[in-house]
Amino acid sequence: METNAFHRHKLINSLMAQEAEKVVENAINLWDQLAIQVIAIVGEGGFNALYLRSVFLTQATFPWLAADSPMPQTDHRFTASKLNLEEQKPDQAREANCLLLITFTDILASLIGEELTSSILRSAWCNNASDSAGSELNND
Amino acid sequence: MNRNDDVGSSDTDDHGQSEVASQDKVSRPEHNITRRKSAAIDDEAAVRSREELVAAREDAVGLREQAAEMRDNAATVSQDTADLHENTIQTREQAVTTREQKIRVPDEIQTVLNERMKLLQQTNANLVIATIEAHKMAEQVKMAKDQLAHLAHHDALTGLPNRILLQDRLSLAIELARRKGWQLALMFMDLDRFKNINDSLGHIVGDHLLQSVALRLSGCMRQSDTISRQGGDEFVMLLPFIKNAEEATLCAQKMLAALEPPHRIDGHDLHISVSIGISIFPKDGQDAETLMKNADTAMYHAKDNGRNHYKFFEPDMNALAVQRHSIEASLRRALEHREFVLHYQPKINLQSGAIVGLEALIRWQHPERGMLLPAEFVSIAEDCGLILPIGRRVLHEACLQAQAWLQAGLPLTSVAVNASALEFRSRDFIESIRAILEDTGLEPRYLELELTESVLMQDAEFTHSMLHELSDLGIKLAIDDFGTGYSSLSYLRQFPIDTLKIDRSFVDRMISSPDDATIVRAVISMGKNLNLRVIAEGVETQEQYAFLLAQDCDEGQGYYFGRPMAAEALAPLLQTGVSLSLPV
Repeated sequence: METNAFHRHKLINSLMAQEAEKVVENAINLWDQLAIQVIAIVGEGGFNALYLRSVFLTQATFPWLAADSPMPQTDHRFTASKLNLEEQKPDQAREANCLLLITFTDILASLIGEELTSSILRSAWCNNASDSAGSELNND
Repeated sequence: MNRNDDVGSSDTDDHGQSEVASQDKVSRPEHNITRRKSAAIDDEAAVRSREELVAAREDAVGLREQAAEMRDNAATVSQDTADLHENTIQTREQAVTTREQKIRVPDEIQTVLNERMKLLQQTNANLVIATIEAHKMAEQVKMAKDQLAHLAHHDALTGLPNRILLQDRLSLAIELARRKGWQLALMFMDLDRFKNINDSLGHIVGDHLLQSVALRLSGCMRQSDTISRQGGDEFVMLLPFIKNAEEATLCAQKMLAALEPPHRIDGHDLHISVSIGISIFPKDGQDAETLMKNADTAMYHAKDNGRNHYKFFEPDMNALAVQRHSIEASLRRALEHREFVLHYQPKINLQSGAIVGLEALIRWQHPERGMLLPAEFVSIAEDCGLILPIGRRVLHEACLQAQAWLQAGLPLTSVAVNASALEFRSRDFIESIRAILEDTGLEPRYLELELTESVLMQDAEFTHSMLHELSDLGIKLAIDDFGTGYSSLSYLRQFPIDTLKIDRSFVDRMISSPDDATIVRAVISMGKNLNLRVIAEGVETQEQYAFLLAQDCDEGQGYYFGRPMAAEALAPLLQTGVSLSLPV
């Protein structure tokens, strides 16, 4: 039986597969939307702690990932991450960001549970998700 | 009002009295009766009228009272109305207030909600941060535990399994081999002369060398093999599944070859070899302890056979191993009981036959085995580290004796003492020489140190500095066994060397071998050109002496001129100043 985490991971992969030519833009867009929802619940400090922890864990696979704290300004929160991803080949950037998002949401789910996490992701990404991708969250 | 009622009543009574007077005048009897009847009727009527009047009056009073009540009621109603009006006003005011309150409530709720949200966010942020910190700490604890577990079973310096893990794997391998009928090999390895490097270049270089060796040895093993560091410069390899001893031979050869190229450590090119002892299960032992002991024994035999070799265990090796251990124990006892003695061999000026110096040579006066030569115990003393205290004892004894001869007025030019690599590279070598000279009172110019080429060429920078320090003290320096090792002529020029000693092997063959004769001539010539004294060692025959004399060699040493002898026996010879054997 497929787990909630499996659906979540599948969703992230499918969202990152969209707009293949704009990998970095797509990645930052997903982070921006996710940040708004998560910050509303755990604040800037909580989000930054989760993000930095995720980067640290993802660096085991992608050591080039920069461990800069997201900036508090909404418009430029992920400027450093964007520059960092842009330095990589698109495939590398996509794979790294997929793993980073998966790690982030895994930690979030371990803290607040799958149900709440799915709810947050729905709020963050429902407009981005294609029908098939969006249905992943509804499987929860 | 009552007064008015009374007035009205009076008017009615007057009117009744006039009607009675008029009836009297019409008819008296009848009239009287009638009149009486009429009067009665009138009275009755008057009574009734009065009653009616009273009733009317009462009604009027009642009406008045009702009117008054009504007036009271009206007043009350008016009051009530006023009250009601006031209440209405109050109600309206309250309604206004309520409306105003209702208007204010959403703003307040929003403010409260915002504050609550902020508090919740902050609380959640703190919880998230605290949880993540807890994760990190748990991770660190787990890592520390893993490291501890790894350290408990691995050598911290090389990362190889340690003796505990090897013991475990060996026990398992023996059980499996026993069940399956397989053979296994245990290879005990000890680096040759590692102590020299460790003592001369320091522990850091020694540690780096061990790491480099571990890496190379690891490259020689199969996936299923285990190589462990036992401690110091000892390694053990377990080959758990072998078809025959030939597989162990191949592995040993591979390891010897792997260690052949020099190790580049901290700017030094270090050469190190390994001696390997091999034991095979089940032939050489049924348990881990026996296999390990026998592999160790075989390793010592490999060392005794010139090092950089491997040896399979053979049962008769045990007897030799016992003897070796016995020698180690005896060496310690000999040092305590002062069983080491010095014999002195003269160095002769080949032209004049005069004794120009002495070489102090150690002998072990063994209580049971008699007088033992250095070849029988020096390598063991080097391996077990006793060479340092023994070397110092020799140096002290030689200086003390030389000083005694000088004080006795004997003509002594110098006394030479051999210094091993281990002594030369020891940190306090210079200091210990200074202390001995000071203690014995011998002037440094009477002391000569003999060092082999391999000692001098091992680390040129260090050697250069040490030799100059010794030379500055006034001590003479000689290169011993010259021609058997590797000498850089450039260093030879730079080092403050006084004397070259041609190795006895060339002297021994120079009469029969033209090549050796050529070498001897070349060394004599080179020494003279570099302004060095040249001494030929191992001169045992007249022919050898004549050849050396013909080549204009400065000095000679050997049985032909005189065997090494005890100090007391040498004193008369020193007194005469010439060799007894020399045909002058």
